[in-house]
Amino acid sequence: MTDTVLTPERATPVGNADEINELLRRYGVKFGIYKNGTFKEQLFPFDPIPRIITAEDFKAMEKGLIQRVDALNMFLYDIYHDKNIIKDKVVPEDFVYISSGYLPQCEGVTPKNNIYSHISGIDLVQAKDGEWYILEDNLRIPSGASYPLIARELTRVASPSAFSGNDIVDNRNYAKLLKDTMDYSNCGGINAILTPGRYNAAYFEHSYLAELTGSVLVSNDELFVEDNILYHKTYSGGKTKVGALYRRISDEYLDPLTFEPKSLIGIPNLMEAYRTGNVGVINAPGNGVADDKGIYYFVPKMIKYYLGEDPILKNAPTYLPFYEEDKKYVLENLEKLVIKDVAEAGGYGVVFGSELSKEKLEEFKNTIINEPRRFIAQEVIDFLDLPILEGGEQVMRKADLRAFVLSGETTRVWASGLTRFSRNPDSFVVNSSQGGGFKDTWVLSR
Amino acid sequence: MKKLNFTFTTRLTFDNYVHDHSFALRCMPVEAENQHIISCELDISPFVTTKQTVDAFGNNVTSGYLKGEHRFLDYEIRGVAEIDNSLHRTDYMPCYLYQSGYTKPSAEIAEFYKSISADCDCTTPYDRAVYFSARLSEIMRYEKDTTDTHTTAAQAFEQKCGVCQDFSHIMLSILRLDGIACRYIAGLACCDGETHSWIELWTGDCWTGFDPTNNCDVNDDYLALSQGRDFSDCAIDRGVMFGAYTRQLQLISSQLLTSLY
Repeated sequence: MTDTVLTPERATPVGNADEINELLRRYGVKFGIYKNGTFKEQLFPFDPIPRIITAEDFKAMEKGLIQRVDALNMFLYDIYHDKNIIKDKVVPEDFVYISSGYLPQCEGVTPKNNIYSHISGIDLVQAKDGEWYILEDNLRIPSGASYPLIARELTRVASPSAFSGNDIVDNRNYAKLLKDTMDYSNCGGINAILTPGRYNAAYFEHSYLAELTGSVLVSNDELFVEDNILYHKTYSGGKTKVGALYRRISDEYLDPLTFEPKSLIGIPNLMEAYRTGNVGVINAPGNGVADDKGIYYFVPKMIKYYLGEDPILKNAPTYLPFYEEDKKYVLENLEKLVIKDVAEAGGYGVVFGSELSKEKLEEFKNTIINEPRRFIAQEVIDFLDLPILEGGEQVMRKADLRAFVLSGETTRVWASGLTRFSRNPDSFVVNSSQGGGFKDTWVLSR
Repeated sequence: MKKLNFTFTTRLTFDNYVHDHSFALRCMPVEAENQHIISCELDISPFVTTKQTVDAFGNNVTSGYLKGEHRFLDYEIRGVAEIDNSLHRTDYMPCYLYQSGYTKPSAEIAEFYKSISADCDCTTPYDRAVYFSARLSEIMRYEKDTTDTHTTAAQAFEQKCGVCQDFSHIMLSILRLDGIACRYIAGLACCDGETHSWIELWTGDCWTGFDPTNNCDVNDDYLALSQGRDFSDCAIDRGVMFGAYTRQLQLISSQLLTSLY
């Protein structure tokens, strides 16, 4: 590092990218994908130019994220209990109950301390004017925190001088944040991380986080519920009570006696143990109703409704054809909007109006008129591109930021995050399974 | 009002030894406005400790875990209940208005609904249900062993035959298309000998039972054991066990008799 002041514009490559990528490979930092029925592990390419976020920028973002996640947690409690936000007609009931993330099996179940989303992954993008916009909330099992953690660690190895100054906030406290969060929701017993196993896309992350937090890494055949208490089978044939389960499997597979009966990776009667208050389930089942594409539109209204505050962070400008006024706007401006099908996920069901032919546009308009509830429409945000190294050259690419917000005794934002970028210059899709890469995210301390 | 003595026995036998057997039973009838449970006992064999909870739909859940090897699981409930269907339950949940896994209408069900609703000039939810059930019973035939517990409303409607579970699912699908909230009931009925299922529909301020299989009202000869959006929420027993490839045989018998005292 030179002694010039760090700014986002002055980000330069740190360490040797090949060397760090080689270290990542040796440490097994991979993610798995299924393609054409076969399982393949891929490296998640690391780019050595960090994203730099100024202290001032982060402070504002932090406040906004805490506000948003607090409101989302209050929304989840409300939906599974009194439903006041529906009664007060702030959120139309259809949007809640047709959401596939809404699980009636969770009605009336109260997690310890009313926390539903313990670990929230909030995706943001920065526009060219510097403003941050929320793209989506991930409140189920957001992954990715381990990548910037280990990349920072390995950059330290490859380039010990990089962090000799005090300008960059140390991100190694994620383990502490996560452990505090698990401890706070622990109902008596050990902390365990439940993984579907070796062939899961995020297995590296499960094992790494277990190691860092001192939790037991378990698969379902090591766990059982007896007398509505979750136990871990010990090597000596005994059993240890589990007080908090950070599960990395999705809701529908969690308990074959409550949800999908064919699930082979779940724990029978886990829901009974959870309902009884004998185990904390992290994140709580049923959270999908709050990170649904249709519900996203209402998050700013939720913040106002539950906290009486104006939202600090903005949503991407979004329209719901469900409302007449919005429908009119969407139909008139379809060619410049991006349309998302609320029932679809993972980049599917996303259509850019600008890419449609005249006939297709008309066809799509009719679909929206017939099924207005099925879609949301958004303005296309003019992303601020970030530099990446491509064959030794710096080129500009689209990138987003997944910020991690942890809810325990207080709500805290990790001063780092996962910056993902697209390798394709024309693509907005930064998804890792689409060949994108990641960078470290530096938050400046002053 | 009627006083009923009820017994319900299930015998599950396995071809081979099983172990680490977790189960959840929804067989203890719920105390509700229209059914007062005077007594109810549950016996399970082999011996196992159990816990009771109430699930989101209001069902009594008895859960247990049989760790050691065993080749059967028997359970029996016995008790006395007072049934009075002139009184109505009011435990509403908004999810009952929406289609669920088993009830998703196929194009064929939607088409059928369209034609019968066009002919229907009834206005109350109950009258509409009675009309829809009458029309359904004209084309659906009761026939055992043509469907199983995985059969959806769409599949049963396509073959136009099935058992009580299928009649209930199709009826729920149709009522929800009509914007009427309704739920699945699993229970016991006089003269049935096994378990029965019927539906309840929301009249606007309370639930009213209807039996689409027999195309009739639910009188005081019915005892509800569990309720939910469809069969998946109401299964009287669900279990997961480990063992060599095992077939299981389930024998069920039930008796519901008008109490003589």
